[in-house]
Amino acid sequence: MNELTRKQRFKNWLALPGGWGIMIGSIMFAAIVIMGILIPIFGPFKPNAFVGDPSMAPSFKHPFGLDQLGRDVMSRTFASVWIDIGVSFFGVTIPLVIGTIIGILLGVTKIKVIRSVVSSIIDGINAFPLLVVAVAMLAFFGAGLKSVIIILSITNWARYARIARTRAVVVSQQNYIEAARTLGYSKSRIVVKHIAPNVSAESVAYALSDFIIVITVISGLSFLGLAARPPAAEWGSMIADGRAYLANGWWMVIFPGLALCWAAISLSFIVEGMSRRDRGNS
Amino acid sequence: MKNQVLRKILGRLVRAFSVSFWVMFISFTIIRLTPGDPAAARLGVEAGKAATDALRKQLKLDVNPIQQFFSYTNGLFHGDLGISLQTGRPVLDIVKSTLPVTLTLILLSTAAAVIISIPIGTYIGWSGKSSSVYAFRTLTSIILATPNFFIAMIGILFFSVRVNWAPVFGYTPQFPGNLKYLWLPVAVNTLIMTAVVSRVLSSSVLETKGEEFVETGIIRGVGRLRFFWFYILKPSLAPTVVLLSYMMGTMLGATVILETIFTLPGIGREMIGAVLTSDYPVVQGILLFFGFITVALSFAGDLIAFWLDRRVKI
Repeated sequence: MNELTRKQRFKNWLALPGGWGIMIGSIMFAAIVIMGILIPIFGPFKPNAFVGDPSMAPSFKHPFGLDQLGRDVMSRTFASVWIDIGVSFFGVTIPLVIGTIIGILLGVTKIKVIRSVVSSIIDGINAFPLLVVAVAMLAFFGAGLKSVIIILSITNWARYARIARTRAVVVSQQNYIEAARTLGYSKSRIVVKHIAPNVSAESVAYALSDFIIVITVISGLSFLGLAARPPAAEWGSMIADGRAYLANGWWMVIFPGLALCWAAISLSFIVEGMSRRDRGNS
Repeated sequence: MKNQVLRKILGRLVRAFSVSFWVMFISFTIIRLTPGDPAAARLGVEAGKAATDALRKQLKLDVNPIQQFFSYTNGLFHGDLGISLQTGRPVLDIVKSTLPVTLTLILLSTAAAVIISIPIGTYIGWSGKSSSVYAFRTLTSIILATPNFFIAMIGILFFSVRVNWAPVFGYTPQFPGNLKYLWLPVAVNTLIMTAVVSRVLSSSVLETKGEEFVETGIIRGVGRLRFFWFYILKPSLAPTVVLLSYMMGTMLGATVILETIFTLPGIGREMIGAVLTSDYPVVQGILLFFGFITVALSFAGDLIAFWLDRRVKI
């Protein structure tokens, strides 16, 4: 086994179920993140600079064309990566951490009142479609990206808590937890060192597919004018801006939309590949 | 046996009620999330103290929260959801006048998605050919990763901008005329729903195929239609029905965007309008309705799934 070269090991890994999906998805995702770093730094045009005639069709100099104000659509599309992928990252990781901790505690607690009350609060929050509760809360918080992150933290943890709770109940009945108890380890040590690592794998797997939902929600809210606001470059708001010019400026809508799809599809290929690997079929 | 079934259904009903309570509680509490004073936030700093106090009184923010919750719940049971700050119309009236458009949109999409998904899902699951399964799963995951507003934009580009087959302004509520405005948003919803539903159906059919009773059916030579319904579809449908009820809730949420794009006078667009004008009672009332409808949908979905397959946990 040790004699296998790196190349061969990679080939073997690729041949496992879902290998191609994970690899293509990762390359696609890396590509858009790298473009999101390179284009704003080395690109010839600033995302908010007026560089030519309004609504100019795609050309060699401006491959994605110019928008209704004469800004370079390509620069804006890639400048959006930071808002869309960056903000979504926080919108996923904060609820992931909060929800998993609450879920684990809920799974191991012996106090019945807490368990049933918190569980029904979780069900109550999850009863609302995410987009609707986010829109409603924005009415009270005031629109903006910061509010969106706060709102996602307040609402989305409940989905993670539900997953972690179910998993924590299963894990805490396993033999190795029983063994740790017999050895006399303290309760907190068992929870932190033995239960948490075994619960979090599933939560992280869910986080990846949640990433797609959160990107869609953030760009959707921006599309409605409730998250990112002009002149910030963001896919959803670029699509909303271009909507009025659809008849003679399709590039203002199509290119940011394709970038958004590219990011979401790359993640969904990774998710798909990983679930195939989990199930073990090809 | 019968008793057990009844007890399960009752248990599920109790859960639906307890979730409804939290839905109510959340819709009620949400106004208190406003940083500072909601009345001042709506009126702005230049409004006088008298106007702010009056609005606070109208929003019933001047009494203590517990007392207020009781009067709020009491109002709910009498159909009183408050009054719009913008137009002065009762919120219940607004919901009543906008909900039909939204429900038409959702029900048409669901029906179309079910009709399309059953043959596709069954075929893919039953054939089990790995190349077609692979292509099918890749295609559906691409559809599911694409946001509905982008799909809608592409649709508008082709059917409203180039040719005026799907006008995006001037909805008329009369029956045959409204289809002209509804078919494109329905098609967008249907596409997304079909992708989800046929995916789940195909994997349950694949699972059912491995069950022993299917082989028994083949050996016994059951008639084709009977075999298709009793041996393949019915045992595979339970997860699909649960998913369908969940997806209808998600689609309800998605109407917030779709109705705005297609300027349909439904509950979703009403909500966006209320959010943009800080019309708090309308936002709260619509949120409450969204919550109740979703709870009812998931209750109905679980019951139907249980009827189809008694092994299902509800």
